[in-house]
Amino acid sequence: MPRETEISVNERAFIQQALQENLRLDGRAFDAFRPLELTFGDEYGVADVQLGKTRVIARISVDVAVPPPERKFDGIFQIIAEFSPMASPAFEVGRPSDAEMVLSRILEKAIRRSNALDTESLCIIAGLKCFALRADVHIIDHDGGLVDASCIAVMAALQHFRRPDVVVEGEKATILSVREREPIPLSILHQPLCVSFSYFEDGEIFLIDANLSEEQVRNAEIIVTMNKHGEVCQIAKYGGATVDPLALLNCTNVALQKVKEMSKIIQGKLEADAKKRDAGGLMAELSAENER
Amino acid sequence: MPLDTSTYSLALLRLDGRRWNELRRLHAQISVQAAASGSSYLEMGNTKILCTVSGPSEARRGAGGGGAGSSEGNLEVDVSFAGFSGVERRKRRQDKRTTDLSHTLTSSLTPLLHLHLYPHSTITLTLSILSQDGSLLAACINSATLALIDAGVPMTDYLTAVTCASSPSTSDEEAGDPLLDVNSAEEQELPFLTLGTVGREGRVGVCVMESRVRGEGVEGMVAVGIEGCARVREIVDGVVRGYGKRFA
Amino acid sequence: MSDLMTVVLPGDDVPPDDLPKAQNKKKALKLGPGLRHIPPETITTTIAGALVTDARKNAAWIEYNSGRVSALPSAPISVQPIVILDHVCHSRPRQAVPSGGSIGTQLTLQQYLASVGDLVIATVLSSTSEHFNCYITPHTHTAALPHLAFEGANRKNQKKLPPHSLVYARIVNSGKDSIPEITCVDASTGKGEGLGPLNGGMVFKISLSMARRLLAGRKGGVSVLEGLSEKMGFEVAIGRNGMLWVDAGSVKATLAVGRAVQEADEQGLGEKGQKKAVDRALKKI
Repeated sequence: MPRETEISVNERAFIQQALQENLRLDGRAFDAFRPLELTFGDEYGVADVQLGKTRVIARISVDVAVPPPERKFDGIFQIIAEFSPMASPAFEVGRPSDAEMVLSRILEKAIRRSNALDTESLCIIAGLKCFALRADVHIIDHDGGLVDASCIAVMAALQHFRRPDVVVEGEKATILSVREREPIPLSILHQPLCVSFSYFEDGEIFLIDANLSEEQVRNAEIIVTMNKHGEVCQIAKYGGATVDPLALLNCTNVALQKVKEMSKIIQGKLEADAKKRDAGGLMAELSAENER
Repeated sequence: MPLDTSTYSLALLRLDGRRWNELRRLHAQISVQAAASGSSYLEMGNTKILCTVSGPSEARRGAGGGGAGSSEGNLEVDVSFAGFSGVERRKRRQDKRTTDLSHTLTSSLTPLLHLHLYPHSTITLTLSILSQDGSLLAACINSATLALIDAGVPMTDYLTAVTCASSPSTSDEEAGDPLLDVNSAEEQELPFLTLGTVGREGRVGVCVMESRVRGEGVEGMVAVGIEGCARVREIVDGVVRGYGKRFA
Repeated sequence: MSDLMTVVLPGDDVPPDDLPKAQNKKKALKLGPGLRHIPPETITTTIAGALVTDARKNAAWIEYNSGRVSALPSAPISVQPIVILDHVCHSRPRQAVPSGGSIGTQLTLQQYLASVGDLVIATVLSSTSEHFNCYITPHTHTAALPHLAFEGANRKNQKKLPPHSLVYARIVNSGKDSIPEITCVDASTGKGEGLGPLNGGMVFKISLSMARRLLAGRKGGVSVLEGLSEKMGFEVAIGRNGMLWVDAGSVKATLAVGRAVQEADEQGLGEKGQKKAVDRALKKI
């Protein structure tokens, strides 16, 4: 009988009292993210994001498919986010909860509908063949802030991913293996990132990146997705308690600042990873050693 | 696929001849269906919705989590599209958009209703979308509010909603004019947000935006949206009062 | 208590040299949690951890710290202690297990299993005519806490506990086929002895081994609470189900105490580290 366990009255009262006194349980400032850790897998397109105790892994895979007839010049891009019981016993397979639905919808709007990935670049032969890209989001550990962490994971994985090169001769397309030709990065148009605001005390107190217990106490949340260029890709406030419109607008300003900070971190990690790989490649070429 | 916006930038009139801050014709009725506890019929331009409320009735077993969860009543929302509602016939009954719609309705209306008065019970909202021409979520929210009032479910205030789009700007520097109450043609071309406010103070209950827009554009859209919500509130309030007069 | 620790993995055969040497032939070797006897002479491990032996008591057990890092524990791992007497196995009730240190593994799953006599912090879920349904660990069957199992409670004067309130209770029955029963009163004296509803304060999640070590007192080798209590006053309740309830009057002080213990737990701090953690915590107040 899995169910989300509710927080006890003692914890609820304590968290609220602490917020009144400008304190968070883990000692963070109200507008601070938990420490973000981002690591990449050995393969291209695997990103492992740890946001405090929340951990999300995104993996990109590619396949060749026939494009849908109504979108001949587009490739296919799917984001699949499912909760597994691994993250929390409250999650059940096959019965999507509201949180799961919100997560997959937000990722869809934030990344797919905002055209973060240029799907036209995935087209191989118009109407006949295209790359079908699939991003799988695995929630490994759940301690709140899933939307933010998942969005970081997917965007980092997309930027890390390299697709195999392809040669087209008339109607014939040949996918070149990684050995034959250096795989090419995806064309990313912009980098949307989500920032969740949880608010308490009738919209008086706003928290960024709430953990699980704070999420259980909050009045409601606003998820803002922005990119570092200052474009708002998505805003979601699905009900909950009401909030002052000015506070809502303020969220977009704070989000922009946070998104800029996080973009920088992600970019830094990507560059570090690329450097690591590059050195490896050069060394491998220069090396006289044979693989036995 | 840019919209032919020349009409707007020249005459400041939209495709259907409205000005930027003009609502479409909003027509609403309540108590349209005798069998339901409460019902409403709402037209926002060509978007037409029939909404019925049944309950509060005994909660289904297994629903609502049981245990301590049932000390409050719960709200269930069921959204269905008529096959003829859009330009294309819909194939699948349930898709992500439908669940998203019903989830938004549930979570936005639940805090307004005094559900603690109905322990162990369920209130079911059924929305039938008869015709869609943009501003779907806003129309659903407005009709649900009316139907709940008709059913006599105690609630704190009206939740009224409108959509608001940001028209393409003529210069790069400033964001374009906000357009109130978009129809489906505008919805497809322009970034828009749905805004729902509660009460006279215009506190935001719902805010959903699904398309990319410059950060500066949001401010204008929210400001115009709040204005629009207040106007919708007046109309909705008028409908309820008009209905009440019949009994006086 | 031996300082020597051998890391073992499930299925390892424990070499006879690692086991305590019986000074007295009469005294049987006692096997604690995580060890299994396969007749005639083999002893294998069933869990990963550090092998700890006690020559004086002629006992051996596995010390494992599987405090799940995340908030919610899951996936049960069952450990049945056995006592071996002349190659005959008898199942005995759990022994209090002191420990000298622990090996922390991140992200291992463990769930508390109710056993009689343990002190737990339970959360009230709902109330029936006879008892409160409480959960000791989330996502498992609830335990029953009779309405009369409180100090001074009788038919006419019964405690009212709203859902999601906390109680400090002792497990009186943990049958395999029945739901566990807990009580907030000592049956022999009729006194609460510190058990009962917990008001105010805050709950901190700690690992099961930390809870065990805290309850073991001096033998547990955790001096954080003692260190803090020298400088400030606070109330604590330690639940074997991995919960620590703290009330130190103010939010700041409560947080400082809770975080100091969590820090000692997560980083597996030794004596010195714990002292430092205490100093840091005191500085914050």
